[in-house]
Amino acid sequence: MITNGNSSSNDPDFICDPVIVVHGGAWKIPSDIHEHSALGVRDAAVTGHRVLKNGGSCIDAVVKAVEALEDNPYFDAGHGSVLNEAGEVEMHALVMRGDTCDMGGCLCVKHVKNPVKAARLILDESHHCLLSGEAALTLARQHGLEERPLEYFITDESRKEMKDYKNYSASIHELFDSQDGHDTVGAVALDCHGNLACATSTGGINAQKVGRISDSPIGGSGGFADNNSIAVSTTGHGESIMKVNLARMISMYVEHGMSPQQATMKSLNHMKARVGGSGGAISVDGSGRVGVHFTTQNMSWARVGGKFQNETTYSNDCVQFGTDCTNFRTEKI
Amino acid sequence: MTNNVNDSSNNSDFICEPVILVQGGARTIAKAFLEKSALGVRDATLDGYRVLKNGGSCIDAVVKAVQALEDNPYFNAGHGSVINEAGEVEMHALVMRGDTCDMGGCLCVKHVKNPVKAARLILDESDYCLLSAEATLQVARQHGLEERPLEYFITDVSRQKKKNYEDSRSIQKDFDKRGEHDTVGAVALDCLGNLACATSTGGRNVPMVGRVSDSSICGSGGFADNNSVAVSTTGDGEAIMKVNLARMISMYVEQGMSPQQATIKSLNHMKARVGGKGGAISVDGSGRVGVHFTTQNMSWARIGGKFQNETTYSNDCVQFGTDCTNIRTEKI
Repeated sequence: MITNGNSSSNDPDFICDPVIVVHGGAWKIPSDIHEHSALGVRDAAVTGHRVLKNGGSCIDAVVKAVEALEDNPYFDAGHGSVLNEAGEVEMHALVMRGDTCDMGGCLCVKHVKNPVKAARLILDESHHCLLSGEAALTLARQHGLEERPLEYFITDESRKEMKDYKNYSASIHELFDSQDGHDTVGAVALDCHGNLACATSTGGINAQKVGRISDSPIGGSGGFADNNSIAVSTTGHGESIMKVNLARMISMYVEHGMSPQQATMKSLNHMKARVGGSGGAISVDGSGRVGVHFTTQNMSWARVGGKFQNETTYSNDCVQFGTDCTNFRTEKI
Repeated sequence: MTNNVNDSSNNSDFICEPVILVQGGARTIAKAFLEKSALGVRDATLDGYRVLKNGGSCIDAVVKAVQALEDNPYFNAGHGSVINEAGEVEMHALVMRGDTCDMGGCLCVKHVKNPVKAARLILDESDYCLLSAEATLQVARQHGLEERPLEYFITDVSRQKKKNYEDSRSIQKDFDKRGEHDTVGAVALDCLGNLACATSTGGRNVPMVGRVSDSSICGSGGFADNNSVAVSTTGDGEAIMKVNLARMISMYVEQGMSPQQATIKSLNHMKARVGGKGGAISVDGSGRVGVHFTTQNMSWARIGGKFQNETTYSNDCVQFGTDCTNIRTEKI
């Protein structure tokens, strides 16, 4: 069979229509950033979908989508990461593939322009699942990943946030306790071969202690992927996410028969009740059912394809996106 | 009511008989070390139980037990940790409390004599759940934790393990056959009905510098929630992380399985799904105990609790062994 590289349905290995969902963080998005956040996730989802449409893998798609958000200064990842207590940036990322459940995570990384690509390297090029800052940097350098000086990562936004919320406790209170959260970026995808993958990336929480590790690089907390259940990427108060292993919870509820949406709602409610934390998550399962839910005021999210809520058919020709669950837009792609 | 501090049942808050379990790592234990491993976990369990018997908390008990194993050169934690590619030691530990689900984890730590105490500090004294090496060391120093030079941590045993690995590398490039991946850990239920876990390790034999072990990661190296179970895991660290072994076990218990059933199911899943072997110990709020491993051996010991088909507690003796058939029982 001749494969038309531009149409996944002519691929002899084609199993299903691809799906991609992207998030830009669960938190109280300031009104002047709403539009930038919405458009940012929209563009990242379209970028990731382009990979999938051409028959590309779910791993390539999620990495591409997250890379776009890392390059976008309006998100707390890569360029635009928040500052730690010492006025520096420490980034964390995870990529997990659902066919083998293998993962690559990097924590407290500096200099690397796209931490999600470092996480991808750890997944592909090492036997390990999680590497600390120096080790991740060494690997990144061995493979020629782009680096940037500190000034590249710090934006006026992150400087302003540092000024407004001078310490970590104040950040948590302002951004989390009042139903607010903080941002991280992530993506989940189902490709035309039926494989699932997730990616998550963050600069952490404003004014955090140097060396504080986010949930984002941890498999089971910041994200999880298993072809037998779902791909998930989470966001919100990192310590709460870790205490309940949010991503693994969601996946186990799906393993036990819930839809991604039900599993996500149940898990986020548990997190709120058990440890008092707010957050959000996106997910997709092998049959294209999508989950999007958050307990913070907002979460910027976007998706192309898949079945969401009560839909029974796929919508591959448009991107749906928004910053909450009521005002979302749909545009043709 | 007068409280007799030597008998927890006179404590006016007393809810249940305490339980403690300890593991010294799931792997193939060389014949020469079987006895030392068995006695090591036995003694650590006794140390932890002494805390519980005096009405102490489950957190104190698991930290005490793990500390004993960190100080014991026959276990891959603290003194006796394996050596990494650069000839140094990087240690990882976790403590988690089941009442609040709060945790403290430290990774790639150097110098600190007892990493489990550093993890405890992160739990008690910080707003965080997981800190990198430098940050952990800072917290440890602020609180005056004991430090030791590199030579303290490295033993003849760990030097030999590194040599064995390097010698075998030319013959067997299979990463999974490195063999050494033990860890130490403890779980406890105290007389107030609270659960806690602690896990500590020097990592896999000759890891890459900066490789983070599952042992410091909540949901992988351990987990504790009063509503389900306290777990400590050991074995192939990467496999444990890929399936989140501890969280799996806890969720099966949440869904109605016994700790033992949940552990068997989760370890079988780990073997089937990602090809990894390991072990885990657990205890739930009613004292039901789980002990299972898919490796050849796992040194383990316990006092109290209900194991397998038992219907009564056995608080006056310690049960211990290095596999599931040759189990010894000694009066305490």
